[in-house]
Amino acid sequence: MSLNVLICDDSSFARKQMARALPKEWEVTVHFAGDGLEGVEAIRDGKGDVVFLDLTMPNMDGYGVLETIRRDDLPAMVIVVSGDIQPDAQERVKNLGAMAFIKKPIDAEKARAVLTEYGIMTGV
Amino acid sequence: MAANSDGINDIHWLMDILQNIDVGLVVLDRNYDVQLWNAFMEGHSGLSPQRAKGENLFSLFPDIDESWFRQKAEPVFQLKTRTFTIWEQRPYLFHFRNSRPITGRSEFMYQNTSIIPLESVNRQADHICVIIYDVTDTAVGKLDVSRANETLSQIQTRDSLTGLLNKSSWLPVLEDYFQSQQPGCLLLMDMDHFRDLNHSIGHQQCDELLRRIGQGLKSLSADNYAARFGGEIFSVILDNHDAASSMELAEKLRRSVLNLGRNSQHDISASIGVAERSDQNGSAMEWLSNADKALYHAKESGRNRTSLFKN
Amino acid sequence: MPAAAEILTEDQRDCYQELTNVAMGQAADRLARLLNAYVVLPIPKISVIENSDLNMALQGATGDSSVSAVCQGFIGAGISGEAMLMFNDASFASLASLMKYEGPLTQEAELELLMDTASVLIGACIHGIGDQLEIVFNQGHPVVLGQHCDLKDLVAYGNNGWDKALAIEIHYTIEHVNIDCELLLLFTEESVKTLNKKVDYLLD
Repeated sequence: MSLNVLICDDSSFARKQMARALPKEWEVTVHFAGDGLEGVEAIRDGKGDVVFLDLTMPNMDGYGVLETIRRDDLPAMVIVVSGDIQPDAQERVKNLGAMAFIKKPIDAEKARAVLTEYGIMTGV
Repeated sequence: MAANSDGINDIHWLMDILQNIDVGLVVLDRNYDVQLWNAFMEGHSGLSPQRAKGENLFSLFPDIDESWFRQKAEPVFQLKTRTFTIWEQRPYLFHFRNSRPITGRSEFMYQNTSIIPLESVNRQADHICVIIYDVTDTAVGKLDVSRANETLSQIQTRDSLTGLLNKSSWLPVLEDYFQSQQPGCLLLMDMDHFRDLNHSIGHQQCDELLRRIGQGLKSLSADNYAARFGGEIFSVILDNHDAASSMELAEKLRRSVLNLGRNSQHDISASIGVAERSDQNGSAMEWLSNADKALYHAKESGRNRTSLFKN
Repeated sequence: MPAAAEILTEDQRDCYQELTNVAMGQAADRLARLLNAYVVLPIPKISVIENSDLNMALQGATGDSSVSAVCQGFIGAGISGEAMLMFNDASFASLASLMKYEGPLTQEAELELLMDTASVLIGACIHGIGDQLEIVFNQGHPVVLGQHCDLKDLVAYGNNGWDKALAIEIHYTIEHVNIDCELLLLFTEESVKTLNKKVDYLLD
C-alpha cells in the first residue's frame, strides 16, 4: 500500500508546483485540498499520512489545521510549506507539531532534502 | 585578439562614462572608507579622487549626520536591499554650494540619493554605492508652489489686516463649538460711528486701530475663537465663561477701546452684545442671532455700552 | 469579474496571488527584522481595476482615516509598474517606538519612518516577484505623495495614459500593535501582457 500524500494550499499553481517537486521515484498517492477545512477532512479520510501544508489560506489557515490535528490526535506528519519565512512563524508551527518547514517557492531539491532528513522517504 | 580588445574598450568606455556622468558616484567599503569618487563629486567638493580614496567618509565630511546615514546604509550591507533618501527628508547628504551663478536658485544643492549594494564574488555586499542626484530645480520649484499654496490658504481663511479668522472660516468653528455642548458665551462687538471716524482720522489710522483691537481679541480666547466678522464687527466665543464673567470681560474690552480713543484724542467707542449659550438655543445660528439682538439693544440704548441677551 | 477576464485568466490570477504570497513573505521577514516584531500576513488581493476606480480601490484599503503615502516606480524587461505604500496616520506612534526612534514625532520624523519602511517593503516585494519570474526590476526614486492627507486628495486621477491595470494589494498589520499599512502594486495593461507570458511559462 502506497503512502498518501496531501497537498493543502489555496493556490492551484502552488499545489501543482508542490506536486512537481515531489521525487519522481517516490511511490505515493497524491491528494489535494484547497483550504484548511478541506485539508482536515482529507486527513480524517486517511488521505494525509504526509501533509504539505500552506499557512495563509481562507476558511481555515494552516495554524488552524495544525491545532485540529493536535487536538483530535489525527495521524499526520505535517511539513509546512509557506512564504511566511519570519523566524517567528517557523517557531510557531514547530510548536504546534509541524515536523519541518520549507520556504516557498518550493523546488525538488528542497523537498528531497526534507523528506530524506526526516526519514519519510526511505530506501531511495 | 579582437574579442579581448573589445572587452578592454568596453571597460574604458564605462570608466569614461562614470567620470563624466552628471550624478555623483561614491563607493564605500564596510568601514565607510571611500573606494571610488567620480568627477561629479570632485567637481562639487573640490576633493580629488586621489585624496578621497581610502579616507573615511565621516572624517572627510564631518557635517554628515553619521548615525542617520548609517541607519540608511546598514540595511544595504546586511539585507542587500536598496535604500533611498529624498530631499524632503534631508535637503542633502553632501553640502555642495550652488555652482550656477545665473540659473541656480538655492544656496546649496538639494539631493536625492540611492544606496545600492555591490556584491563581491562571495555574494556578500562588502561595498555599497551611493548615487547622488542633483534635484535642486525640482525642490526649489516644489517649495515655491507649497509656499504659494500656504499663503493662498492663509488669505482664504484669515483676515489679512488683523490675522483673525474671517467670517466664513469662523462660522464652522462656532458650529462645532455649539455641537460640542460646552457652556460659553458669544460676544459681538461693533465700533460706534465708524464711518465718521474714517473721515476724521483717515483710513490708515482706522486700519491701525482695527489691527490693535484684533490683537486685543486674540488674548481673550483661543486663537481660532475670535474673528473679524465683517468691516468693523468682531465676534468671539468665550469658552466656558458664564454670563457674569463674560459681561465682566466685555466691559473690560469696551473700556480698553475707549482708552485707545483717549490716547489718540478721538472719540472711539464700541457697543457689545453678549449671549449665553442656553439649552433653548436650537442652533448655532439662533445663538448668534441672540448675540446680535443684544448688540442691537446696546446700540439702541445709546452706544458705548455692553448688553446681555435676555429672553 | 468581467474586467479581469479580459486581461487575466483565473489560472493567471491564481499564479499572481501565489507569486505575491512568496514575495510579501520575504518583505515581511525583512520588516519583522527591522521592527523586531511579527508581521501578520494576509491573503493578497489580485484584481483588475479601471483608472477611474483607483481612488475607490485605495479608499477600500484604508477607510476614511488620514494617510501618508510614498510611491516608487519600477521597470525591467519591458514591464513597468508603480508601488505605493500607504500608512494610516495612527500607525506612526507605534512605528516610532518599534524602530526605537527617539525625539518628538514631527512631520520630518514621520517622513523618515515612512521612507525607511518603504525602502524595505517595496524593494523586497518587487524583487521577490521579479526573482520568481526572472526579471530584474530597477527601482526609480521614491516620491512622497502626501502626509496627513485625505485619500481623495492623494491621487489625481484622469488622463495618465492607462485604462486598466493589474492591482496587487497587500494589507500588512503588525501583531499586538496599532500599525496598519497597505502596499499596492500596479501594472498597466501593456505590462500585464508581457507579464502574463512569463506567468504562462511557469504555469506550463
